[in-house]
Amino acid sequence: MSIDWVTVIAQIANFLVLVWLLKRFLYRPILEGIDAREAEITRRMAEAGEAEKKAQAAEAEFRQQKKQLLSDQDAMVKQALKESQDQRDNILAEARARLEQEQQDWHKHLEREHQKFTTRLQRAGEETLLELTRKALRDLADEPLEEAIARHVSARLRPIASELTDAAGDSKKAVATTRDPLPEPAQALMRADIKDLLPAISLDFETDPQQAPGLVLRIGGAQVAWTVDSYTDEFDALLSERMATGTSGRI
Amino acid sequence: MQLTPDDIVVFTLAGWEVNATIVNTWIVMALLVGISMLITRNLRPDVPPNRWRTTLEVIVKLIQGQIEEVTRNSARHVMYFAGTLFLFIALSNLMLVIPGFSPPTSSLSTTAALALSVLVAVPIFGIASGGVGHYLKTFIEPSIIMLPFNIIGEFSRGISLAIRLYGNVMSGAVIAAILLTVAPFFFPVIMDMLGLLTGMIQAYIFAILATVYISSATAEPDHPVLKKEDKP
Repeated sequence: MSIDWVTVIAQIANFLVLVWLLKRFLYRPILEGIDAREAEITRRMAEAGEAEKKAQAAEAEFRQQKKQLLSDQDAMVKQALKESQDQRDNILAEARARLEQEQQDWHKHLEREHQKFTTRLQRAGEETLLELTRKALRDLADEPLEEAIARHVSARLRPIASELTDAAGDSKKAVATTRDPLPEPAQALMRADIKDLLPAISLDFETDPQQAPGLVLRIGGAQVAWTVDSYTDEFDALLSERMATGTSGRI
Repeated sequence: MQLTPDDIVVFTLAGWEVNATIVNTWIVMALLVGISMLITRNLRPDVPPNRWRTTLEVIVKLIQGQIEEVTRNSARHVMYFAGTLFLFIALSNLMLVIPGFSPPTSSLSTTAALALSVLVAVPIFGIASGGVGHYLKTFIEPSIIMLPFNIIGEFSRGISLAIRLYGNVMSGAVIAAILLTVAPFFFPVIMDMLGLLTGMIQAYIFAILATVYISSATAEPDHPVLKKEDKP
């Protein structure tokens, strides 16, 4: 057992070289690799942490949105129910209003139809009454109706001649209005009677299609007339009375 | 019986007789450096390590952890030094099982060289850490009376390191050789297995003691070094 100092020096040199070589090819690459990997892991952990935070934030936002959506959904359902209720009420109100309007229109239509019918009935009654009167007069007295009317009006003028003179005032004109032109004999009869009763008054003849059959004489502010209106009014009153009492079947 | 590979001359280079200790040391160095170069040649942080790289990382981290347990001042150059000591001694002792291979650590010259390296490294690390004054001051602590004892202790460290490593490795080889002549079938196998165990233990003790010495020389007063048992 001895120490070879040359070998000792060589071994020291070998050891120092080995230290340098291992530092160069073992420790430094391994430790730097570990450090780099730890840095990479740290970076990935940080990224994962950030991603987790983002995911949590997104989850919280999603939950909030879901909650908000559920809340909005409830509100929308309530709103829709309210709107449908309002709409139903509006539709019902409109339907009621339209129904009432249609009922009113129908009543008005019925009223108009009633008036038209009444008017037509009245006109027909008048015409019928006039024809019957004319026929009765011709059959019984062999006299035209118009002349009988003229004579009747003249007869009604006679007792009130003084009042008519006062009513005429400054007016020198009397107007006899009929629905149809008065026949010439009747006109002559009327003129003769007026000339006899009121010499200062001249008589003119006019027609008015709206006027009821008959004759209306106007002198100033006074008026003497005979029309079938009074007869048809009496006929209507009598008809209404009979209908109201349920005795229409006896008419 | 050949007790040391220093006496085996392998070849002569320019008049210098290169013995088996040096050649075997080169073989161990070549194995260490070659394996390291093969494994660490293409390291990329984004590529997962393979099993060989993981093995190297485990070994390096183990060495680093052991050094950090001994000293808080775990500078990397301490690990380069102590780790190389461990790897070199461990691989040399493991190669004891190869027939015909004499481990370099079975030569007193090698163990003396390693001990001298530690002896020189301790003051170098100490001076590099705290300066010359701080290092010299450690010799008169706790009192100037201790100066000769501290100097003797400093040198006895190296001698004990060298003799301990040499004795353990060489004794294993000698005992195996003796038992090989007495009972050539079973005992040498058992003794070789025991030699592997003691070889690893000696590598660990040598490296850890070197670390303790270096850390005691580099320790600051506020950070006392963890003292370990100074016996194998």
